[in-house]
Amino acid sequence: MTEYRIEELMVCRIASEVDDSGVTVLGSFTPLAYASYMLAKLTHARDAYLVGFNAIGMPPVELNLTGTEAAAYRGALARWSFLTTTQTVHLGKRGLVECVSPAQIDGTGAFNLACIGDYAHPKVRMPGGAGSPEVVQHYERILVYFGRHDRRTLVEQVSFRTGQRAPLSAEERRRRGLLAGPVRIITPLAVLIKDDDERPFRIESLNPGVAAEQVVENTGFELEVPADIPTTAEPTADQVALLRERIDPHGTTRFDFLDAQERKQMLRDLLQDEWDRALAASRVAAR
Amino acid sequence: MAANKVVPLAELPSLVPPGASVGLGGAWMANHPMAAVRQLIRDRIGDLHVIGSLSSIDVDQLIAAGLVRELTFSMVSLEAYGLAPHFRRAVQDGTLRINEVSGVAMNVALDAGARNLPFLPMRDIGASELPEVTPGAYAEIECPFTGERLLGIRALNPDVALVHVLRADAAGNAQVEGPMGCDPELARAARRLVVTCEELVDTETIAANPASTHIPGFIVDAVIEAPFGAHPTTHVPRYGLDAWAVMAYADACGEGRGAEVLAELASETEEGYRERALDEDRRVVLETVAREAPTLETA
Repeated sequence: MTEYRIEELMVCRIASEVDDSGVTVLGSFTPLAYASYMLAKLTHARDAYLVGFNAIGMPPVELNLTGTEAAAYRGALARWSFLTTTQTVHLGKRGLVECVSPAQIDGTGAFNLACIGDYAHPKVRMPGGAGSPEVVQHYERILVYFGRHDRRTLVEQVSFRTGQRAPLSAEERRRRGLLAGPVRIITPLAVLIKDDDERPFRIESLNPGVAAEQVVENTGFELEVPADIPTTAEPTADQVALLRERIDPHGTTRFDFLDAQERKQMLRDLLQDEWDRALAASRVAAR
Repeated sequence: MAANKVVPLAELPSLVPPGASVGLGGAWMANHPMAAVRQLIRDRIGDLHVIGSLSSIDVDQLIAAGLVRELTFSMVSLEAYGLAPHFRRAVQDGTLRINEVSGVAMNVALDAGARNLPFLPMRDIGASELPEVTPGAYAEIECPFTGERLLGIRALNPDVALVHVLRADAAGNAQVEGPMGCDPELARAARRLVVTCEELVDTETIAANPASTHIPGFIVDAVIEAPFGAHPTTHVPRYGLDAWAVMAYADACGEGRGAEVLAELASETEEGYRERALDEDRRVVLETVAREAPTLETA
């Protein structure tokens, strides 16, 4: 059996949603999602179009903190403005899958990237949702991922609805000129799915070693718990090797699983390495 | 002979009146017009209505300097380096008026402005609460042809747009070869357009590569040469993210030293900034990460 870390299982589950039919956009810093798209592009979805920072048809890149945009642009097939990208992909029904990683989600699928507490007088003001309201409404498949699965994150009701896919039924979405597909939540414990406005999220699969009760206990909203729940597919040896050796050799996908202090230390370490590597590379180039 | 629109950075205050609405280019951690932002801070051009779609340290520093009255935005973030500290505090304290708009709608609003239209339609944005908290940006409308319910997005026409590019000639023909956010639409929507550039070039250099000219000179009012003008954000293909500087900013603000950082920015010239913030090693590192960040061969 292949040894793997939980973030690698999540990366592989997300990657399995990317196929050759579609366009996948990389926006705000979400290393777990980036790694998933690269993995798909290097394995089963070589014809998928990745769009990173509006570099259209970007090549798969090694994840790092300082040079990802430059690498995306170096191999891209077109360079668009953000308006052209969003008109064509988001609004033009070409968006296959894009991940969102908000602060909270609730049982209606509403997620929050704006604030904790009252909108007008927030306890914590967060960055805002960028294009995520349009992403969750217009793409075919929506994946929301979290580095932790608890009642502070999967909440009874979000403080603010930055975005929410509506409606969810395939028939009604098509009638309104929208792509149809479910909303999934990917966490260290399980995969949850919702495709019906009238029904709660359902446990689609349990990650290895996790019991359904553990998921219910750590979820702040009602869940449908089927009698038989499959286990989330485990990463293969090839997938783990690709992730560790080529896509994410510096381990940026751990970012979402760390607390604030650990994140800071990880960033410091990664940046020291990137500085040293860049200086060494510049000396090689100068020779 | 074409008009010469070149002015020094120090003349920026004559182009951005206090109280103006100012659109800032760039997106995520890419290509924000930081040299222009620093000049606004030096000259204390205040009471601004800042319009920035995917904003970052640019907007945070203007808020830190106390220059922002109102902000229209879809995101303000330091990404991996944390919440934008001054944006966060100003909203929590209720000292900043905000108009929060979804990201695609921001693009549509600028597109409407660029087309001399009062609004443009788009399909709905789901059950987002943003139209409720920002009613001035969104209105439900009915398609006159099909009767479908759509969302009207009100045009944005900033008094001034500040956009950073790779190279421009004296007439303002401006080229970009990396991430440009929604800069071309912002440039067209603005009543006055100021372009800062990594380097001024002659018109022959522009004409040799016209596919890169995303902003033609006839919409440009002023051109300013500003090397490393997007620093510490990226300017691909020239330089990558100065993540070390962004992290130092986040750390300083976290330790209550934000005012010191801003005072230092305000006290030096742009040349002085480059000497302080960009020593030889750092320039080499930033240029190297942009040149050598690895792509992965699919073969």
